[in-house]
Amino acid sequence: MLLEQTGFVDVVMSNEVDVFSGSKHESDAKEFDTRGVTVLAHKPR
Amino acid sequence: MVGGMVGVARVDRAELRRFISEKYTEVAMNPELGFHFHTGRPLANMLGYPGDVTDRLPDANADSFAGTGNPFLFGDLASGERVVDVGCGAGFDTLIAAQQVGSNGRVVAVDMTAEMRAKTVAGASEMGLTQIEVREGYAEALPVDDGWADVIISNGVVNLCPDKRAVFKEMLRVLKPGGRIQIGDILVHKEVPQDAKDDIALWSG
Repeated sequence: MLLEQTGFVDVVMSNEVDVFSGSKHESDAKEFDTRGVTVLAHKPR
Repeated sequence: MVGGMVGVARVDRAELRRFISEKYTEVAMNPELGFHFHTGRPLANMLGYPGDVTDRLPDANADSFAGTGNPFLFGDLASGERVVDVGCGAGFDTLIAAQQVGSNGRVVAVDMTAEMRAKTVAGASEMGLTQIEVREGYAEALPVDDGWADVIISNGVVNLCPDKRAVFKEMLRVLKPGGRIQIGDILVHKEVPQDAKDDIALWSG
């Protein structure tokens, strides 16, 4: 994962949320199965 | 895109920034138009923001919310913490963060789009949140000193930056040792072809 490659540790990811389906205009995001997510990660001490 | 191996897009960064800024100026000025993503309090509800938290925000700030996650999902920020909101947009998360850290904390809200910064400034003034300071800047070059922040929040911004590695390295520079990021973004489950990565029109669509 890019975050760990960059130097972050203790990476935790939330459940994914479909944040694009049902919006007013069609999105290319749907074509690539794109989901919203929230991430917690730390800079090492 | 927070996970996986992400190729570097061959796009003109100045042109991409101009395109994205124009798109989000529209979100700031005319949120009622509707976009290819959800906006406002309905989106916040989808993402798990408590209604009593979002109800306290001015409509002008809430209506232009366009995040992809909920930086407070892993817990509230602590009183007195120093926060950087990377790509603060209309200030939705900035205003929530400022209430959580209180008057002893600080929130530096950074955005490249003038109309979004103006909304954040107005919202902070309306809510009397003097611990907020709004600055112009980019995610790859944050206008914040080394090791200043306890926490960085961001929401739907990293995916709009062509060099994600540079963004994460900049976040590490700004954080104190042991500091953390709480960011909402997107995961893409299907391989995005290089020609799509290089198409500026697809970056916010």
